[in-house]
Amino acid sequence: MPLEILFRRFGAAVITAASLAGLQSAQAASPIAPTAENAVVAKTAIAAQGADLAPYLESYAELVYQTYESSKTDAIALQSVIEAFLAEPDATTHAAAKAAWTEARQSYLQTEAFRFYEGPIDFVDPATGEEGPEGRINAWPMNEAFIDYVQGKEDSGIINDPSFEISTAAILENDQVSDEADVTTGWHAIEFLLWGQDFNDAGPGQRSFEDFIPGQGNNDRRRTYLELVTTQLVEDLTFLETAWQPDSDNYRAEFVAEAPEETLGKVLTSLATLSAFEMASERMAVSLDSGDQEDEHSCFSDTTHQDFVFNAAGIRNVYFGDYADYQGVGLDELLETVNPELNQQMIAALDQTEATVGQISAPFDQVLASAPGSEERAVVESAITSLEDQAELMLDVAAALGVEAEILAE
Amino acid sequence: MIKNRLWLWGLALLTAWIVVTIPLVGMADSGLEAGLESGLAAQMLANRTELSGGDQATSFKFTRTAFAQPIPNLDRRRRRVFSFGDRLFNTQWVQAPGSVPSLDGLGPLFNRNSCAGCHIRDGRGRPPIPGETRMLSKLIRLSVPGEDPHGGPMPHPVYGGQFQEQGILGVAAEGKTQITWQEETGQFADGTSFSLRRPSYEFTDLGYGPLGDEVLFSPRVSPAVFGLGLLENIPESDILQQADPDDVDGDGISGRPNYAWNEEAQSKTFGRFGWKANEPTLKQQIAGAFNGDIGLTTPLLAASSCSEAQADCQEAATLGDPLDVSAEFLDKITTYLSLLAVPARRNVEGSLEQQGEQLFYQGQCASCHLPKQRTGNASVQAEFNNQVIHPYTDLLLHDMGPALADLRPDFEASGQEWRTPPLWGIGLVGTTNDHTFYLHDGRARNLLEAVLWHGGEAQQAKDFVQQLDVSDREALVAFLSSL
Repeated sequence: MPLEILFRRFGAAVITAASLAGLQSAQAASPIAPTAENAVVAKTAIAAQGADLAPYLESYAELVYQTYESSKTDAIALQSVIEAFLAEPDATTHAAAKAAWTEARQSYLQTEAFRFYEGPIDFVDPATGEEGPEGRINAWPMNEAFIDYVQGKEDSGIINDPSFEISTAAILENDQVSDEADVTTGWHAIEFLLWGQDFNDAGPGQRSFEDFIPGQGNNDRRRTYLELVTTQLVEDLTFLETAWQPDSDNYRAEFVAEAPEETLGKVLTSLATLSAFEMASERMAVSLDSGDQEDEHSCFSDTTHQDFVFNAAGIRNVYFGDYADYQGVGLDELLETVNPELNQQMIAALDQTEATVGQISAPFDQVLASAPGSEERAVVESAITSLEDQAELMLDVAAALGVEAEILAE
Repeated sequence: MIKNRLWLWGLALLTAWIVVTIPLVGMADSGLEAGLESGLAAQMLANRTELSGGDQATSFKFTRTAFAQPIPNLDRRRRRVFSFGDRLFNTQWVQAPGSVPSLDGLGPLFNRNSCAGCHIRDGRGRPPIPGETRMLSKLIRLSVPGEDPHGGPMPHPVYGGQFQEQGILGVAAEGKTQITWQEETGQFADGTSFSLRRPSYEFTDLGYGPLGDEVLFSPRVSPAVFGLGLLENIPESDILQQADPDDVDGDGISGRPNYAWNEEAQSKTFGRFGWKANEPTLKQQIAGAFNGDIGLTTPLLAASSCSEAQADCQEAATLGDPLDVSAEFLDKITTYLSLLAVPARRNVEGSLEQQGEQLFYQGQCASCHLPKQRTGNASVQAEFNNQVIHPYTDLLLHDMGPALADLRPDFEASGQEWRTPPLWGIGLVGTTNDHTFYLHDGRARNLLEAVLWHGGEAQQAKDFVQQLDVSDREALVAFLSSL
């Protein structure tokens, strides 16, 4: 075991030195002699992999906690606005509920940078089969007809099936059982209940508040359903917050106690995977390639654009170690001591992503409706390239810090 | 030159010596392989690896999405195709004309409206469980005696080649399948009794009149869909080398290749996919599933699945685009499926698993569930070329006896023959699909029941297992579960 670690450290030092040598030769004007520089960097790299990773990971854990905490707080705010809507359903309270959903999404989207390493959000306990709540919180695409009526099928969905008991247990029992797309819970279920299907070329779904007036049709079932899935969302986010809260006997305690090389590898795998797979491929390229106007992540509310913006922000947060008021240790600080050139490249790539994602025109379904080769589509293509570039650089960052990371796809 | 050759010969001899001797030494040490002749013991040890999908196409994720993992290190170009294929696999197709012409065309007759509906998380289907009123991931193939012009099953004159239990609005579904299970008890040699459930079928709510007395039917659950790019790349000649159609070696095991109609080649070619090895290529397998199961036409199978006697179906099929799935989309979903990695074997060093592994060889299970195959170099994916893989199948047809027979011939496959299904990943079905129903129709409720249903050419293997005591039975199941 010690031999293996030694090899990995030594190997990483060589890689770092080699990549720097490459940079050096590209910059002929550099006044520093390559050999001396390499020796210094190699030594720093070894140091960085030892003691220096721990403070970053401590800080990362705090950042995760703070982000989940604000996501939970925002979800509770959404819950109270939904309660107010159900207490007195009209156009105003309905609009407030939709605004609260859109607002609450923003902090959650930033937590997606904590997925893909079987942490609290998406762990699987092989002994019990228990899984983290990701599938319950954010599953997509969803088969809306499984939940409620859709165009051309008025009696569709479990809301309109009187033999189905509307209870949390029954809803969860039916979540993605006979079909992966038969999603019953989470953000997109709430979104569908608030907005309805989007057949509106110029805007989001047009469900009326009248669907929630008590005592009519299956409205009471729909009301209960909305209430229950919102409560479940708050519960799941509370679970995540608890798993990451400081000074507790929880996942965070284990996380910071693990070998820092392995843990940092997970963090970088998470960033690279969210960037290249989840964002670039699953949520952008697939939508472009299908030519389906509603083949987008938040299709009912037409808020897919903000999904991209806040996912990208989540990646930046982890790299710079900051979230809202919390100013923690960043990977940039760590890398600056080891490979400043790479750090600058990484920062430039993150900036590039922020810029290109910001240029994607909203609503996103209008991009999808545009003709092949359109300017709107070209902007999304360049965002895809930025996301792929930054993911590949994340792997370089991992190598420079002597850890292993990869781009997953699932 | 000569010197080089001598050196090579030396190396070859040394390798041979190592291959033969090391396992023997290992045997003497552990004493575990005592009941196994040395050749088999050597094979067993050589096959004892976690790299089921070879060096580059094995996945180490054992969660609910264990079957949904692509091979590692996809570049961005392939990642994009993979993601899009995944999207198509999950697409819930809608009736044409829909608001999205590229993703409509469901039916008119169909079984499910998405690939993932039956192959949940790229995994395995099952028969209905109590409370379910329809077959969600199992279907019935239909025919009447005789052969179609290509030598395949003769479709039922009214119902066609498959019993499609759903229809779009205005087109009557073909009917419903009612399964009755009958328990049959048996005993292990140690006196422990077991019970197996035998299905019988009744077709009700028939939409197009009686099925008739001559109807032949074959119930099939949807198999898991990973590792298919590797299986497609095993050279036909290697597979045929294992065949022994007339059982010349007298071991009671034949192994026959199926030859099925190949739409692209416009001739019959070697069949390697499907429960009866009745599909020659992955692409055609997918086109067939699109056509029969979802009612989607593709460039490969451009005619709707409506029979001539189904007028409403014929008429509804003319709506929308002439082809529901474009050539580009068919290629992408084929690439997606071929890129799904094989989950690694677990607990390779477990003593119970190794005890069971030895029994697997001892009981001659490995004669058909061939542990090792080598891939050729015909794949466009470099990771699939020249790999040693461990699928536990010979991809050949075997007579499995009357208890499992569907009595419905399918090209060269008789009514008692089935293709040896791969066993890789079989121990993960509970994790990926929340059930442990096995065999072509899901009648076995666990792995041991699946073994006990074996008959025909596998009768001896089954008898062997029936003689095992409880600890050996547990060991065998532990081994299978580790695959």
